[in-house]
Amino acid sequence: MARWGMVIDLDKCTGCQSCAVACKAENNVPHGSPEEHERRTAPFWHKVIAVSNGEYPAVRIDLIPMPCMHCDDAPCVTVCPAKATYRREDGIVIQDFRRCIGCKYCIVACPYGARSFNYKEPEEKEYHRPDLPPERADRGIWPFPHRVHGVVEKCTFCFHRIDQAIREGKKVGEEVVPACAEACPAHAISFGDLDDSDSNVSRLLSSRQWMRLREEMGTSPKVFYLTG
Amino acid sequence: MTTDFVALEGKTRGYRFFAAVLGVIALAGFISFIISYIQGHQVFGSNNVIPWGMPIVLTIYLIGLSAGSLILSSLTYVFGREEYRPIARMAVFLAIVLIFGAMLSIAIDLGRPEKFWRLFMFFYMNNMSSMFAINGILYGGYFIISLVYLGIIFAGNHRASRITGIIAVGWAVLVHMGTGAIFGFIAAREAWFSPIKPLEFLAAALTSGVALLIVAVTLTLALSGRELKKEMVASLGRLLIYFIIILLVLIIVDKLTHLYSPHREATLYLLTGQYSWIFWGFQIGLGVVIPLAVLFNPRLNKTIGWVVTAAVSVVIGIFFERYYLVIPGAAYPMQYYPGKIEGVWGSTGSFPLTPVEMVLSVGIIAFLALIFILGLKYLELLPPGEPAKEEVKESVAEAGEANNTAKTSEGQ
Ligand code: SF4
Ligand code: SF4
Repeated sequence: MARWGMVIDLDKCTGCQSCAVACKAENNVPHGSPEEHERRTAPFWHKVIAVSNGEYPAVRIDLIPMPCMHCDDAPCVTVCPAKATYRREDGIVIQDFRRCIGCKYCIVACPYGARSFNYKEPEEKEYHRPDLPPERADRGIWPFPHRVHGVVEKCTFCFHRIDQAIREGKKVGEEVVPACAEACPAHAISFGDLDDSDSNVSRLLSSRQWMRLREEMGTSPKVFYLTG
Repeated sequence: MTTDFVALEGKTRGYRFFAAVLGVIALAGFISFIISYIQGHQVFGSNNVIPWGMPIVLTIYLIGLSAGSLILSSLTYVFGREEYRPIARMAVFLAIVLIFGAMLSIAIDLGRPEKFWRLFMFFYMNNMSSMFAINGILYGGYFIISLVYLGIIFAGNHRASRITGIIAVGWAVLVHMGTGAIFGFIAAREAWFSPIKPLEFLAAALTSGVALLIVAVTLTLALSGRELKKEMVASLGRLLIYFIIILLVLIIVDKLTHLYSPHREATLYLLTGQYSWIFWGFQIGLGVVIPLAVLFNPRLNKTIGWVVTAAVSVVIGIFFERYYLVIPGAAYPMQYYPGKIEGVWGSTGSFPLTPVEMVLSVGIIAFLALIFILGLKYLELLPPGEPAKEEVKESVAEAGEANNTAKTSEGQ
């Protein structure tokens, strides 16, 4: 089984936010108003943060694109009471909207602020969930593969692309990558199988210096940042 | 000594009036809940930085009061302290009402409250490593055990009530430590992450439980013209001293360990930041300093009025402790990467107090107060009044009774 991971080259990243925008478009993530963004009630699956160190003129700015880290030891999976957040065999941490009761415990527990709650009924209701049966077809009277308010959502590593690529026999990581990696004009984001020593991500990790965010939380994130 | 218990007659205008007022407030709360259900949580103050708001504050507060009050009832039924017998039934009933309110508040805080049942599909649909799922067992079990306990007390079986009393008290301790663990086990939130959080919660539960019981009991008994023993109140006051001191020690240890550990920014923010006046003024001032000053004063700690004042101060202080933990406690931005995170992603969370959320919270409290006074009317919870005085005082009594409950809810 593959173990999907992402490698982001901070030397190449220009902070253009293409990845964040592409993610919104690909997954139809609701667009919040500026006020909602200010209040932090607008959903984001991917964000680019700017971190400053020092005082002008001796200041250093780091630009960090932050999707969900798809932690191997994910606190969000540990705390979810309803099994709505779970780790797939290929390491992707996924969110089942049907099961989510909206307790927000996972938002509290995620050390990377990767999760968003749907604070209002979204206009953007469609999203790719080939894993969930379509509305009312299967069990339950709750038509949940449509986005509704009151549940939590987050980055899925574009698992719909990955699953489809595997079905079609395409190579994940070269022919097919998540939307953010595809959109990056600087080719800063690579995606691939961490367990495969021949994959592009493994080669990058073995040849460059890398770090992961908040290692002290013991979450073993699968998003790596190349620093040198 | 055997004490008979009677029900309140509840036929006076005062009683009916207060029941009606509480009913209206509860209805307003219910309407707010419907609004929040239809419009989503945008009508609350919570956001992705501070995900939990007033309903969760209320939940942990009510659980605390409930556990504290149940543990106190055991003084009579388990340890045989006869002087507390007149209030023991009320304590158990209060505990049941409060835990019911706590579960109600959790359900209301869920984004999809109609899926509440998923919390109770133990093992089958639950992830049992989640503290929420474990607490589902603890709260549900606690509710059932307390009901059984009250039933056995009504049946008047001393041996059985002693045994269930022991089980109920042990369970109440677990309930509260479990609630503390919800916060204490979250490594991502530095101000919460602490192994002594469960103990701190337990101490806060006992403190606020005793304090609320002092307030509720003295007012109910005094105003409904029933005999109120000064010694009982004074000894409850002495009990309160111990609990406050334990709580104070735990708060200090908690803050100190956080200040010594590498991630001290969030705790520093709590102690010195924008909202630290809530901590110093309410949690420490009202919750610890004022009550201790009163209760240690040999002249004041024997008068009912002063002991009740100290208790009210504790009840308010502990409420703000819970508030401060849940809301400002989550506000400090997480340090995703060393340095200063610019813009929205690195700013401190804000939490507007919205009208819907306020009405909802007050509505829950009014609903609980309503259940409590209805319980006084339909169940035999009160010690009998003195027959001679009873008739004269009846009208004052009932008005006062409702009044008391209203006051209690203000305190909450
Ligand atoms: S980054 Fe957050 S949401 Fe993503 S897997 Fe880790 S804990 Fe879960
Ligand atoms: S909000 Fe949903 S996904 Fe998050 S912990 Fe609760 S049930 Fe699980």
